[in-house]
Amino acid sequence: MFLFDWMLQRILPVIFLYLRPFIKWFLHTFTRLCELQRIVYGAQAGASRTRQVERSLMLSQNVDIQQLLRELDTAVETCSEDELRQLPVRVVSVVQRVKRIKSKIHPDFAPLFGTCVLHIWSYRHLLHQVERLRAEPYDANNLDHEQKLLELWNRLMPEEPLEGRITKQWQDIGFQGDDPKTDFRGMGVLGLENLLFFSREYRDAAHHVLLHSKHPVYGYTFAIVGINLTAMAYRLLKSGDAKVHFYNVANSLNQACSLIHFHKFYCYLLFEFDRFWLESEPTNIMDFREIYQRFEILIMEALHNDKTLFKTNLVVEDV
Amino acid sequence: MGLLSLLRKLRPSPDKEARILLLGLDNAGKTTILKQLASEDIATVTPTAGFNIKSVAADGFKLNVWDIGGQWKIRPYWKNYFANTDVLIYVIDCTDRERLSETNRELFELLMDNRLKQVPLLVFANKQDLPNAMTASELAEAAQLVRLEERTWQIVGCSAVDGTGIKEGMDWVCKNMKK
Repeated sequence: MFLFDWMLQRILPVIFLYLRPFIKWFLHTFTRLCELQRIVYGAQAGASRTRQVERSLMLSQNVDIQQLLRELDTAVETCSEDELRQLPVRVVSVVQRVKRIKSKIHPDFAPLFGTCVLHIWSYRHLLHQVERLRAEPYDANNLDHEQKLLELWNRLMPEEPLEGRITKQWQDIGFQGDDPKTDFRGMGVLGLENLLFFSREYRDAAHHVLLHSKHPVYGYTFAIVGINLTAMAYRLLKSGDAKVHFYNVANSLNQACSLIHFHKFYCYLLFEFDRFWLESEPTNIMDFREIYQRFEILIMEALHNDKTLFKTNLVVEDV
Repeated sequence: MGLLSLLRKLRPSPDKEARILLLGLDNAGKTTILKQLASEDIATVTPTAGFNIKSVAADGFKLNVWDIGGQWKIRPYWKNYFANTDVLIYVIDCTDRERLSETNRELFELLMDNRLKQVPLLVFANKQDLPNAMTASELAEAAQLVRLEERTWQIVGCSAVDGTGIKEGMDWVCKNMKK
């Protein structure tokens, strides 16, 4: 059993990698279409198509395409949104030249393939944006950071003014002590931006969740749990597990992946975690680790389905 | 996985197990120390809601390290983890002079508990990489650790971020494990 699993995991992919060129040659000869065309015409739009295109490009043995991919990965580290939108044009032309795809005969290829390219590299671009925010530590001497922190308070507690910058009141929205500056830790400004987006764009949902967090039995620390969900969103984005959701969002809205989509993904996670937490009827906050892990597994399972698109219009049901 | 590590996995592990409890105030660096012990990435640490646990192999021991959140709302639950502890590690942020008396109070209070009576104590004087940190001996004096007459204890300066001092501390832990 052990050996069988081992063979399945280690040997089969290697065999497949060697057979791949033959399978491709065979299919190319009989369908008169290259692999990218077969995917673009055959696979369903959204994550299914985009991920197959991505895989095909990554496995390409062609030197020109490999060089192109390296250039794209470097470009998206720092490029602007406008430059990002221009990327597909070049990729499409290189691939059409290399694969000898004539646009007169295959007019549908360029727009369909270009869309996939935009979604793939806008995801990678987003990853860099998110990483920069995460790597920026919260700094109490940075006016911008401080203003955002105060805005978070005002949005969550509009009826209660803050008595001072350092006060026990911060614990009312679930920070650990009297100064939140040390609570963002490894999530840096990303954690703050996520919480702020939630309180700003999903006012009702945020107040609903904050209220739950003050439950006498099932209560938890809102901001700290929020920062731990930033960590989950970040991990899923970085590992690539979240691609299914982001590619489907990009496809359904006909947009590139962007920071707003990441914030909304985060808000979905936080809102759903709150529901999951209450349903789990925890004994106290010490159950957090187990419930958090179970929740992450549920999300991962959903992301194994190519059709998954998390609904980010968070609806608060009135009781 | 190679064949050798496969065989190694099949062999029953002879290691003795030990339970290590990691306590201290919030932002002391407990989770970062835990991640250092497990050789994991420390850049993405978050505040601990509840607790973390990791098993680490050291000196023929399998150390089950329990890292319990340090914020005051969680401190009442610390006592639920006291039973069967082999070594207590208490972490102090050496730059946080304002909360020195608070951390000291928490330490002496938990040492009064019967379940921790015979348990050796290691104090990690953390954040030695920061310029304004108290040294381990300054901290020992400020925290009046001499009051711990009966107990086997040690203080070690460390930096959880770059790993300095962690190994020295853990060597002491393995040597002084409660029999």
